[in-house]
Amino acid sequence: MFENIPCKNIVLETLNLEVQVRERTILQNISLQVASGEILGIIGPSGAGKSTLLRCFNRLSELTPGLRVRGEVRLMGSSIYAPELDVNVLRARVGMLFQEPVVFPVDIRENVLFGARRLRKLSKGEQDELVESKLREVALWEEVRDRLKQPAAKLSVGQQQRLCLARTLAVRPEVLLMDEPTSALDPRSTSAIEELLLEMKSRHSIVLVTHNLRQARQIFDRVAVVCLRNGVGQIVEQGESAAVFNAPSAPEFRDYLGQASGM
Amino acid sequence: MRRGLDIVMGCVAGGCLLACLTISTGLVWSIARRGWGALSFSFFTEQIALVGASGGILWNLVGTTVLLSTAFLACAPLAVSLALMERVWLRSESMKKALRLGLYTANGLPSIVFGLFGFLVFVQWCGWGKSWLAGGLVLAMSMLPTVTLVVLERMAAIPQRYIAAATGLGLSQSQVAWAVLLKQSWGGLISGSLLGLARAAGETAPIMFTATIFAGVTFPKGVVENPVLTLPYHIFILAQDSFAAGVETKMWGTALVLLGLVFSMSVAALPSRLYLHEESDV
Ligand SMILES: Nc1ncnc2c1ncn2[C@@H]1O[C@H](COP(=O)(O)OP(=O)(O)OP(=O)(O)O)[C@@H](O)[C@H]1O
Ligand SMILES: [Mg+2]
Repeated sequence: MFENIPCKNIVLETLNLEVQVRERTILQNISLQVASGEILGIIGPSGAGKSTLLRCFNRLSELTPGLRVRGEVRLMGSSIYAPELDVNVLRARVGMLFQEPVVFPVDIRENVLFGARRLRKLSKGEQDELVESKLREVALWEEVRDRLKQPAAKLSVGQQQRLCLARTLAVRPEVLLMDEPTSALDPRSTSAIEELLLEMKSRHSIVLVTHNLRQARQIFDRVAVVCLRNGVGQIVEQGESAAVFNAPSAPEFRDYLGQASGM
Repeated sequence: MRRGLDIVMGCVAGGCLLACLTISTGLVWSIARRGWGALSFSFFTEQIALVGASGGILWNLVGTTVLLSTAFLACAPLAVSLALMERVWLRSESMKKALRLGLYTANGLPSIVFGLFGFLVFVQWCGWGKSWLAGGLVLAMSMLPTVTLVVLERMAAIPQRYIAAATGLGLSQSQVAWAVLLKQSWGGLISGSLLGLARAAGETAPIMFTATIFAGVTFPKGVVENPVLTLPYHIFILAQDSFAAGVETKMWGTALVLLGLVFSMSVAALPSRLYLHEESDV
């Protein structure tokens, strides 16, 4: 079951992860690895536990009362549950992008700086520089350069999602977790984000959840398929993206592909 | 059937609104009619003379302002800390319930209870005697539940996604509390405080034996034995022996000023309420 990725650095890995809410098991036996410079895709039917899994990688799961996580998650080889590890530092190293863009009710500039200027000391000049470089990185600079002081909520949803990405990048994460980041976006904004992901993956490892099969085939390097088996979310199949999509073997995954492409 | 019910409900609601408006305009009108004559520039700039029959209410206005500012300064940080405690640091549901229940109960306590408490603690035990600080703290206590509940209500309305997003960036709990919870419930603190202050401004019982006297002082110069003059106590004393026509006009004038003060604070609380609701929709 354990698939080794030769010649590559493992950035993030889980071993036998299990998640319970009160008495109910949501996920079990989750073992996967994310190598540096790749996009690991997570795909599977609704309610299989993909979002829950993603939130275990930066311990955001701890915001949900009653959720219990067991097993091991390692970032750069060391456990994220180690007592000496500062959970806030972990969350800065493992950034997250949500399904709906979450912009704070402040201006565009402040949104980019929201985390960064609270996590490290930045002079005014450094702030300006950071805002520009991160907005350029997400291809938003030209669109917003002359309205940095305007409320971020006035941007389109696609622009807001790119702004959120810039804000996450500004705290210098090593890994990016993305939970269906394009499902609220129109096709043009979607392809803008997809281009960014492909361009960014050399610098950050990315874990991407999506329901969009076209997107999955195009930009996943490897994929972990999470499906319900006996009512519990598990990885039913994982491997190189092309191989898994071209010859799906798990029956749950075939069902899912059949339904999803039939839609 | 459905339409008929709608119409009946509309009429009932309209009737209630009309009744409220009639009563409040009637109230304002009756006070304004009697007190209007007393209002003049000198009424605000002169001090009390001839046991209230002459002069103005300068130091009463100042005293009430001193009490209210003290109450606000003491109450605001406490209300914010209590609300943050409920939102962030209290983990168990039963503790949260207990805190809320306590606040609702304290909100219903008659203000004279706070006055008695203040009398025992500040006036006697601390040995301050009648003092503006004692009165300010008593008013702060009496408005604390209202303000805390308004701030809490505002914090509870902040969508969870903001908290998740800020936490996900790596902000610590106190940074999230500051950058998200406080930033977005600021308006609640202001409007809650204004509502609490509007009520505290007219409170007479709790400051009667802790902070205020009728005449003979100006601006407080220390804490111990430094009472102030206040608007509601002025009205209270004048109402007890308002036989002379001059005194009566002064009393209604003072009541009108107090009404204006309270009304303007309630109105000032409006925009921050409306504005913040807009913001939380973003
Ligand atoms: N806080 C919670 N309390 C109880 N059950 C929960 C909680 N959070 C998630 N679950 C359950 O865990 C399961 C997985 O949910 P999750 O949101 O992770 O699924 P998902 O794969 O992301 O689905 P989708 O594709 O619709 O986003 C669901 O059955 C859900 O009901
Ligand atoms: Mg999900």
